[in-house]
Amino acid sequence: MTNAAPLLRVEGLTTWFPIKRGLFRKTVGHVRAVDGVDLEIWPGKTLALVGESGCGKTTVGRSILGLVPSIAGKVWFEGKDLRALSQDELRPLRQRLQIVFQDPQASLDPRMRVRDILCEGMESFGIGTNDAERTERAAALLRRVQMNPDHLWRYPHEFSGGQRQRLGIARALAVEPQLIICDEAVSALDVSIQAQILNLLGDLQDELGLAYLFITHDLSVVRYLADEVAVMYLGQIVERGATARIFSAPAHPYTQGLLAAAPSIDPLRRGVQARVQGDVPSPAAPPPGCRFHTRCPEVFARCRSEEPRLFALPNGEVSRCFRDDPAAPAA
Amino acid sequence: MTQPALRIENLRITFPNAGQRLPVVDGVSFEIARGEVLALVGESGCGKSMTAFAAMRLVPKPGAIEGVIELNGRDITKLPVPEMRKVRGTQLGMIFQEPMTSLSPVLRAGEQVVEAIRLHEKVSHGEARKRVIELFERVRIPDAEQRFDAYPHQLSGGLKQRVMIAMALATKPQVLIADEPTTALDVTIQAQVLELMRELQRESDAAILLITHDLGVVNELADRVAVMYAGRIVELGKREDVLARPRHPYTVGLLKSMPGLAQPGERLHEIAGVVPPPTEWTAACRFASRCPRVIEKCSASAPAQTALGDGHWAACFAVEQEGAR
Repeated sequence: MTNAAPLLRVEGLTTWFPIKRGLFRKTVGHVRAVDGVDLEIWPGKTLALVGESGCGKTTVGRSILGLVPSIAGKVWFEGKDLRALSQDELRPLRQRLQIVFQDPQASLDPRMRVRDILCEGMESFGIGTNDAERTERAAALLRRVQMNPDHLWRYPHEFSGGQRQRLGIARALAVEPQLIICDEAVSALDVSIQAQILNLLGDLQDELGLAYLFITHDLSVVRYLADEVAVMYLGQIVERGATARIFSAPAHPYTQGLLAAAPSIDPLRRGVQARVQGDVPSPAAPPPGCRFHTRCPEVFARCRSEEPRLFALPNGEVSRCFRDDPAAPAA
Repeated sequence: MTQPALRIENLRITFPNAGQRLPVVDGVSFEIARGEVLALVGESGCGKSMTAFAAMRLVPKPGAIEGVIELNGRDITKLPVPEMRKVRGTQLGMIFQEPMTSLSPVLRAGEQVVEAIRLHEKVSHGEARKRVIELFERVRIPDAEQRFDAYPHQLSGGLKQRVMIAMALATKPQVLIADEPTTALDVTIQAQVLELMRELQRESDAAILLITHDLGVVNELADRVAVMYAGRIVELGKREDVLARPRHPYTVGLLKSMPGLAQPGERLHEIAGVVPPPTEWTAACRFASRCPRVIEKCSASAPAQTALGDGHWAACFAVEQEGAR
């Protein structure tokens, strides 16, 4: 495969969760967690998926891996649509797609020793010819994430939060993936530990050519490590583009609001602005028209009735706003 | 000299551990003047929240407090419980991180604030209700009158935090303690609450003790900053001095490790190792084992404060050697 093709391409991914009520658990509606998402991730690159609680960013990650059932769309990986494959056909591809969770405490089995946590995936995919070889590989993985190989025989509770996150990363690396989905992987860590883990993820990308789908709400982390950014709001992508461009010239009013709301640590730059007022509406009943119109500082009549499309801007970005779409009549 | 609204001197908080008393806060001193915001920052386990609990006399048992905590010149460390309850209701306001767990789920939001007022003041229910609706309007709760009757689960996270702020302001406290007030909120909601807190700060002359791990929030709200590490304050000064010209190697390292200031692709600064747990705290400098500027003295005794001008100081032997710049 050449670098001219994306490693992962997501088209129209849609994941709705039924809302069930009453004695017969009748479906009375759907939470539209992910509603037609398109993404591309290139080999060796990092795409950050940003948005606030409930925007569906975590569900995108889980839907790509098939950890939650999506109802429509295509997930192209190595030329195959993962959603169209049977479980048996999917298995070998799963090895190439791994995930690191936010809470390493909850995602490491407390009854398993480190060695077994790291070797479980290898056994499953037939990596290593025997236990001794796999143990050797596990020790090498620990060194790779800057941990002491003697820790192989310990249990997860014996480690600090930062070390547990290193274990989560080592577990993902154990099966030699090409893409790691990092779901808020550094959000629960203290600043000094976060820096260690971000550096480690950067080193691994350089050495192993890994691609990351970095799901986060932290804009400073996004600006620092992502090549491209996709901004989500109520189940949809509202803006997508190169990181430097999005941060210097955000197009969509929601992205502009997010950036204006993020506090800086530069004492000369004080004064966040709450350009986006009110709260996120429920994804079970997204507003008609543009989903952001209830909070948008630049809303006009058309936004309330018609849904804007994702429109390619001259600078290569993509934005979902009538304001930037020449096909839309003037306000 | 005017009297500070809150003065804490040589505060020590200890918990029993293996037959000894283990300190979690160890000799913390600071003052906050009326109308001033002091931020206490640090990473998990540094003792910042425990210091806030102590200022409210809410340190959970079997924890014990030593030292002085003065509210408007009156030491509250020895006040009997009923007296203290009165102080908490009238002179101290509190805003916690989790509005979800600090509001009762079975009472209407407005009634909870009415209750807080009527516990401390002899006013009729109708009078208190009127005041609460005014407070709700002041903290920008839309449709204040309808929201008075809402249950907490019917309110979003941002609105619940506004109810908490209204409750904290209800008895016009002179000292407001805000423990991670925006940490659980999304960034657009956080910006709304930060704007609100800035406004309230301009209107009132309450002293605010802000507890946070987020240096961005510090930059938004604080006048002065105290950086805590392993139970002690290691650096204190004006916001501009501490954030732009930090001197303690821990503060320097902390700021450098933040992705917000780094260039994309550049390696982030790492502070080697981990924060020592209280069981490993020594009488010497507790940052010594991780410090890039460590010298011999550091492992022998605790460094004293080196004054750096304009109220800025750092407790570090390396800084002491080079002195004020």
